[in-house]
Amino acid sequence: MDILISGVGGQGTVLASKVLADSRVIEGGRARTGETIGMSQRGGSVISHVRTGESYSAFIPVGGADLLLSFELIEGARNISYLKEGAHAVINTALINPVSAILGKESCDKEEIMEYISANSNVFFIDASKLAREAGAIRVVNTILIGFAYGLGLLDLSGESIEKSMSKNIRAEYLDLNLKAFRSGIKSAEGVHLN
Amino acid sequence: MKEVLLGNAAIALGAVMAGVKVVSGYPGTPSTEILESVAKFNKEGKINVEWSTNEKAALEVAAGASYCGARTMVTMKQVGLNVASDPLMSLGIVGTKGGMVVVVADDPGPISSQTEQDTRHFGKYANLPVLDPSSPEEAYEMIRYAFELSEKIHLPVILRPTTKVCHSSGTIETDENRYDYEIEGFVKSPDRVIFPSLTYRRHLEIEEQQKEISDIFSDLSFNRIEGKGKYGIAAGGVTYAIVKDIINTYNLEFTLLKVGAVFPAPDKLYDRFLDSVEEILVLEELDPAIEEQLYHRLAVNNIKRTINGKMNGYVSPAGELRFENILEIIERFTGKEFKKNKQLSSIDLPRRSPVLCAGCPHRASFYVVKTAMRGNKSLFCGDIGCYTLGYGKPLEMTDTCLCMGAGITIAQGIKKAEPDTNVFAFIGDSTFFASGMTGLANAVYNNSNINVMVLDNSTTAMTGHQPHPGTGKTMMDTVSPEIEISKIARALNIDFVERVNPFDFTRAVIVVEEAARYEGVSVVIFEAPCVALLKTDQVCEIENCTGCKKCIREIGCPALYIKEGKVEIDDDLCTGCGLCKNVCPAECIK
Repeated sequence: MDILISGVGGQGTVLASKVLADSRVIEGGRARTGETIGMSQRGGSVISHVRTGESYSAFIPVGGADLLLSFELIEGARNISYLKEGAHAVINTALINPVSAILGKESCDKEEIMEYISANSNVFFIDASKLAREAGAIRVVNTILIGFAYGLGLLDLSGESIEKSMSKNIRAEYLDLNLKAFRSGIKSAEGVHLN
Repeated sequence: MKEVLLGNAAIALGAVMAGVKVVSGYPGTPSTEILESVAKFNKEGKINVEWSTNEKAALEVAAGASYCGARTMVTMKQVGLNVASDPLMSLGIVGTKGGMVVVVADDPGPISSQTEQDTRHFGKYANLPVLDPSSPEEAYEMIRYAFELSEKIHLPVILRPTTKVCHSSGTIETDENRYDYEIEGFVKSPDRVIFPSLTYRRHLEIEEQQKEISDIFSDLSFNRIEGKGKYGIAAGGVTYAIVKDIINTYNLEFTLLKVGAVFPAPDKLYDRFLDSVEEILVLEELDPAIEEQLYHRLAVNNIKRTINGKMNGYVSPAGELRFENILEIIERFTGKEFKKNKQLSSIDLPRRSPVLCAGCPHRASFYVVKTAMRGNKSLFCGDIGCYTLGYGKPLEMTDTCLCMGAGITIAQGIKKAEPDTNVFAFIGDSTFFASGMTGLANAVYNNSNINVMVLDNSTTAMTGHQPHPGTGKTMMDTVSPEIEISKIARALNIDFVERVNPFDFTRAVIVVEEAARYEGVSVVIFEAPCVALLKTDQVCEIENCTGCKKCIREIGCPALYIKEGKVEIDDDLCTGCGLCKNVCPAECIK
């Protein structure tokens, strides 16, 4: 399975990809990830590739992803082209204004962006930022979205292995917060049906 | 045991398993996590790990330990090798004893670098072998082999991963088979002292060695020919892995030459490849290194083949080679079309370039200087670090940026040619220790009248918060007395040395105004810790905003945004630094 994760530098795409990749290895498989590390981490656009099947490189081609997880709305729209025909996207509706848009140089219309995403993918929107704040901290947007995608049945991983992977990859002091966020994401998916 | 490891961590673990005893380096994307991972794997403290002050220091430390028989690794990014090239060129002549691997990470794109230079050329220039991994798994195998090879040939070996290997992870089968040995110690010999006569003798020997190593590389498993057919593709590094994915995705058949040990060229293997194909395509990022080597074999063997690659304009000379680019090139090469992407409707999305974080003290320092110098003819020389982002709108406080430490010296040159301009140089704390001090001494010695603004955030922020001599912490978890930048400046006979917190805005502006008036070299050290290391729940609050938007126009903090014509503060991003309070003319921000 090829999963593309997108977001803004600092939102925890690297951790999310590590959690998913390790879950696959916990289940006895193999995984690859490809990360954006470096200058873009300072509030720039970032993506992480997660591949849990057989491949030589870590990088998902355009039109090759089975799932897009986006921690931010504009970045979700930016990466829609990575999805396979008919594949699902799970996208946070919260929008982080790029400085170029704040300075009034470029426009940024939330409705228009959501329409574009809906027209070009099979998308589930969720206000993950609101749920993250309710769970205790904005930085757990990543685990909320993993939980939501898992709850929808879009991840071919077991909840048990994801939780195990989280306990391996997340520092003890933040683990409970993240497990709570993961479960809150799952709960939000209750009653939501795949289309 | 199977473990998902980042390429850089795989290189680190491979080095640990190979018995590395001394590891040194200087942070630089995409190489940084190699040394950090060694430190993480070094729970027993058997390995001496250090962040050196710069790459030249790092390479010399590693060379000294290698002379004694210790296996050593030194890590850096490609531009770091420019700094370390002086010892590296000579070290090839003098030779090494304990296996020594110089890991130099190249950055096609470039993603986070000043140049798109190709370290494979450095191998050729210095007559040192270069290994070029295609995946984290291969990097793990290669680094172990690199130590063995280095000990066999008594030369340093270069491992050259690229960003897409360093920052991708693979599933590594780890083992417990850690190589161990006793360090023999330094054995005195005239061969350790470089002299013209030694260099002449060694040069002859090393040229002979190149032929032997070429033969070894022709039979090495990192270099091989796969598949069959008259269409031949030669590929190196991560490009090989992507070509394999394309071949598997579209069920293609090529004679595929994989080049992992690239210098000296595996001539005999190249000859076999050239014999077995009719049409040739070379796919490699950065320079046409494999391509030039293949042309060389055609000339030596006096045979004719068309080679499609960078040299005949078939492949772009710059930038990354992604799956999509490579697929398009292969379609051209074979005259077949494999894939049509679905058409998406179009939308103009705002770009999201990297910016200084909300609460970043560099934003405050830049704004202090901008405020102090308003209306005066001024130029601002930048340097390498997070603060290069001071270039962007709306601060626009970086007029030059060249390489590590260059800001201070470029400023001196500008001042010579343009004496009526106030010239400022901005430099970070880690960069100051890496290569700012000599430039500062030059300014004092040659009576320059420049203003040096040290942006001291107590860490190496851009590469992920590494310690440096000013922090006092080391990678061995020991503490050294902090080296104070202000004391260095005073020791260099600079009389105007002021330390100021950039968030103490009014005072900071006065200090900068005084510095600008001062005849001679002035040094202002802006001291405030990197916001990414601060844990704060504080936020600024805005009430009765008049909607003038001056705060946004002046400082461009990502926590400020406009909603229905008024400025609001994003509590998720705001750190309560209060810089915006100094900008708001209506005093709406608390």
